Amino acid sequence: MASRTASKDIITLRGSAAIVSEFFGYAANSILYNRGVYPEESFTKVKKYGLTMLLTQDEGVKTFIANLNTQLSEWLEAGKLQRIVLVIMSKATSEVLERWNFSIQTDPEVVDKGVIKEKSDKEIMREIQAIMRQVASCITYLPCLDEPCIFDVLAYTDMDVAVPFTWVESDAKLIENPQMVKLHSFDTKIHKVDTLVSYKVDEWDEE
Amino acid sequence: MAAAMATTAAAAAEEAVVALDKETLMLMGCGDAPPAAPCAEWETFKENVRPLKRGRNVGLLNRALKAHADPAQRAALLAARRKMIEAIDEYSGEDPLQPWIDCIKWVQESFPTGGDCSGLVVIYEQCVRAFWHDDRYKNDLRYLKVWLEYAGNCADSEVIFRFLEANQIGQSHTNYYLSYASVMESKNKLKKANEIFNLGIARKAKPVEKLETTYRAFLQRSSKKKAHPEDDTTTDDHPVRNFGTVLNRGEIRGQHAENSHLVKTLQRVDVNRPLAVYTDENSLPSHGLARTRSNNTAWQTLGSQADRNKENNMRPAKWTSHKIPQKVGSRAAVQPTRVSSIEVFVDDECAEEPVPQVPKSTKPSILKLRQATSRNLKQETELLMENPLRNFPLTSLR
Repeated sequence: MASRTASKDIITLRGSAAIVSEFFGYAANSILYNRGVYPEESFTKVKKYGLTMLLTQDEGVKTFIANLNTQLSEWLEAGKLQRIVLVIMSKATSEVLERWNFSIQTDPEVVDKGVIKEKSDKEIMREIQAIMRQVASCITYLPCLDEPCIFDVLAYTDMDVAVPFTWVESDAKLIENPQMVKLHSFDTKIHKVDTLVSYKVDEWDEE
Repeated sequence: MAAAMATTAAAAAEEAVVALDKETLMLMGCGDAPPAAPCAEWETFKENVRPLKRGRNVGLLNRALKAHADPAQRAALLAARRKMIEAIDEYSGEDPLQPWIDCIKWVQESFPTGGDCSGLVVIYEQCVRAFWHDDRYKNDLRYLKVWLEYAGNCADSEVIFRFLEANQIGQSHTNYYLSYASVMESKNKLKKANEIFNLGIARKAKPVEKLETTYRAFLQRSSKKKAHPEDDTTTDDHPVRNFGTVLNRGEIRGQHAENSHLVKTLQRVDVNRPLAVYTDENSLPSHGLARTRSNNTAWQTLGSQADRNKENNMRPAKWTSHKIPQKVGSRAAVQPTRVSSIEVFVDDECAEEPVPQVPKSTKPSILKLRQATSRNLKQETELLMENPLRNFPLTSLR
């Protein structure tokens, strides 16, 4: 008689942290591509989340994002990360043009007691896919970035977190009177990630 | 667009005492605007929304897209547009350009799909035509931006930039030179684009830093193009083209011999008989074209006005007196059709639009806009896209 093994989609704190940090890496690449911060020829296509994603081939950016992901995983596992923001600024004036805000809520029960949660990979992937689609279609409402831009990453952490060697304390780099669009969110049952983009709308009398 | 990456990332500590920023409030769902619905209109209709250079207000965008889906709300939008246009006519303040800009902004937000039905191109044209001779707005950035947006909607915007230069409009702003140079670069007229950048820098157009930065990027791009000359085409207005392949007689004969088996099967031509090739007496290889331009004097004079007008000198006769001979019974085969059987199709949007009873206005351009229906807006838009200065006096280009 054939036996059947029932498998559950179990998610641990470490697994959830890996999903979230990997998501941020792909989201950052997608934003940098779609907003034209780096030339399109410096990106290569890969399959991820059931979509064709673009990853940078620029060595500097690759190293930056890889190091960032390592640090994010560490903070996520400790439940110390509240928010991660990708900021796009004018290269010439350092004026903040866009803020891609990823707000993270961590289940304290999992961090304190090591509780294991259940959610299927497929379901998580579907939720992430919806966010990635929205990032790609942001041209519908975002202003044209017609000047060279740079990006920076801000991490909002708990007060008791020591600032790592490669990081510095910073101001919030907020936009005055921003337009804001709340995008989809995804939930691993341990970490819930809400996405929001805020941007500056030009006026007619501005250069 | 090349850009440097920020070398440091930043850790910002969030204090509970600090007042929450707008982003946090929105994420919590208690900001000024309600959080976007999981499937907001902008996402459903994203392919139909025309991106705006300055960006869009998503709240207005969602409302506008919802309105376009509902015929009653759409009719209300058209009525609101008519009111906006009337407001331009009735304005009596010190800045008559402002109501035009308010109207343009409103139309851009309320008709996000753009297209002919929005009437935006017609509004741009009538706005720029209203103030092109007004010294107050020669160097007004808002007015220049209307011109540039109009240029962006035209088939060939070069004529607009020449007009602006001839009439000294927007010459102190970087935007003029950036847009003009960009158009020239897209046409591969790199030399002309370079001249435009230099002109802007020489005139110290504001902000000059932005112009210089863009110029440096342009120089990098153009040097790359020069490194790959096969991609580069001539910068002349009338490129030297050679249609077809110019072959000498020997080459033709060689080709013919190689393909003789094909010719035999397809055309049944005697292989031994030489192929007669027509050679134009005046034809020259393309590199000799420049010489012929200078030597050929056939069109040095265009003749007198009378010579050129000879086709129009025929005496007009009564055209109804001419009978066209017809074959007997030619109509017998054609069944007479009743007029009523042909149903005339009317667009929904045209059917819904009531014919506006407009009082007479002293400004014909405003009148045209107020009376406009979808059909004649479409027609006018197409004409303006082809010839953006069609309603301007011929002397305006000096």
